[in-house]
Amino acid sequence: MNNEPAQFWPLVIVAGVLTSFILVGLFNKSRSGSEYGFGGRYIGRIGGGAAIASNWMSAASFLGIAGLFYLKGYLALAYVIGWTGGYVLLLVLLAGQLRRFGKHTAPDFVGERYDSPAARLVAALISIAIAVIYCTAQFKGIGMIFAWLFSTDYTRGVIMGAAAVIAYLVFSGFLGVSRNQQMQYFVLIVSFIVPLMVLARKLGYFWVLPQFGYGVALEEISRNYGVNMADPFASSSFLEWAALCFTMMVGTAGLPHVLSRFYVVPNIRDARWSLVWGLFFIALIYWSAPAYAVFARLLEFHGNAVPDPATARSIADMVVIDTALKGGLPPWLVGILAAGAMSAAFFTVAGLLITGAASMSYDLYCRIIDQRASEERKMTVAKISVLLLAAVVLLCALNPPGLIVEITAVAFALAGNTIFPVFLLGIWWGRANRQGALAGMLTGTLVTFAAPLLGGVLPLVAKIFPLTSSALFGAPLVILVMVTVSLLTPPPSEEMRRFLAEEVHGYLD
Amino acid sequence: MDRKDEIYTVNLFRPKKGYMTEEVIIIFTALFGWGVMIFGFQFFVSLLHGSPRWGELLTRFRFFNLPFHFWFTAQFLPLWFVVLCFVFNVYIDRLTERFSRRRDRTYE
Repeated sequence: MNNEPAQFWPLVIVAGVLTSFILVGLFNKSRSGSEYGFGGRYIGRIGGGAAIASNWMSAASFLGIAGLFYLKGYLALAYVIGWTGGYVLLLVLLAGQLRRFGKHTAPDFVGERYDSPAARLVAALISIAIAVIYCTAQFKGIGMIFAWLFSTDYTRGVIMGAAAVIAYLVFSGFLGVSRNQQMQYFVLIVSFIVPLMVLARKLGYFWVLPQFGYGVALEEISRNYGVNMADPFASSSFLEWAALCFTMMVGTAGLPHVLSRFYVVPNIRDARWSLVWGLFFIALIYWSAPAYAVFARLLEFHGNAVPDPATARSIADMVVIDTALKGGLPPWLVGILAAGAMSAAFFTVAGLLITGAASMSYDLYCRIIDQRASEERKMTVAKISVLLLAAVVLLCALNPPGLIVEITAVAFALAGNTIFPVFLLGIWWGRANRQGALAGMLTGTLVTFAAPLLGGVLPLVAKIFPLTSSALFGAPLVILVMVTVSLLTPPPSEEMRRFLAEEVHGYLD
Repeated sequence: MDRKDEIYTVNLFRPKKGYMTEEVIIIFTALFGWGVMIFGFQFFVSLLHGSPRWGELLTRFRFFNLPFHFWFTAQFLPLWFVVLCFVFNVYIDRLTERFSRRRDRTYE
């Protein structure tokens, strides 16, 4: 791929789509002056769902799932189920109560509920760590696309990508561009599914709903080439599959930027219903993603060019775009696909870096270093923090430690082992106190990174808490630690217990 | 524990009488439908997969062009989650409306 000239049309289209987001954001701002785009303050349930979905869609959904399915087949479905099933957990256990509690960010909630600056600080550090890990995976996607667009190597690609992200943040911050998440979702879904339909048609499968059409291709591969991509547990045991799936679910219900979504819609009822729409919109992408991987394998077998495992692993994260190219899609259509992937990664990074930087400024700087910082000073700190975080992410992404989904999975494991238990018990168990929360979050952090830290010395630890799927045993362990420590220490203030009992749970009694 | 502590108890497994009890019943029903369909089904598939006698069932049954277990996991389960969330919302809405009316309050 490196010897080809730069991809002209894809490059034009990617640049055009990203620019149009800025233009629409500017136009919207001057018209409504609202933070939330299109319909102003009230965006409706379907619109709210689209916002939830576009907030969720990242390079992991757009490129990663297909990449892992291409490599490991059925194991990738653990991510699909984890990332959709997690929303059930979120809706059923947290969404309504969290909104009644009325705190917008994870550090705010933890600080208020457990009445503890220390717990708040730990929650802030964990949120920032989650943002950095999550962004690293996005940067890998951005870097690979840039490398392809400019026909250069990955290192240059990721540096150019980082520069583009920073430029976008500075530019949109300077102009005060609002994010239009409904339009983002529309671009994402169209740019993912239309190329897939064309691809299915070219290959001669049922193209109107390629989500069903790819079944025939799956069977052909299995019959003609003896590779059964649908074989369950070919590359993992049931327990490994379940551990990964469970980790993704509790991670989904514990990701700070997902939890914060419930404040955009004006009331609880709308928040709950927009989540149903959001889940449907998210599922649309996941129903289609395996099709790209199946077509990728099929084209390889047709062209008699099956790569060895190492090569396959190195190209897996680009498999969506590679397949479109190999399938003979016109360059502009491949450009649209790349633009979708790029916007998914781009806006995820932008959102996470901004909230991460805000957290560094408000939760760390203002509370520890300078408690009487002026607004201006806070802004300066936040701006410097954006650059700092982006630099850290870039350093991590220069040598990506794994596939996009694998890196993302670590962020989910961390969220599921720390934020999720603290929120769950914070809402549903009035007795949980600050000592319990602190002990729980520290245990959770340790458990998440137990495999690389202690796995060498104690192989059993690496088996029980694998890096990407530590929460199956990790989250229950953290809950146990929280319960034990809370019971051994004094209960939280009467005021907080009354607030929980009367406002959060008893508002209708 | 004195009486005040008793009043302010919040516990998922010992909900207060009234709204919270009924809410918790709905929550546990939803979680049951969530867990069994995911882990129960995967466990069943893994049993079939390991059995020499029944293993071929996994390749024989087809649904929408896909092997049944694959279709169930990749396509039905996400749809099932949407349905589950939908039903959950309907029940919570009804419950909330009933209790709001009892208190002579409008919803929200």
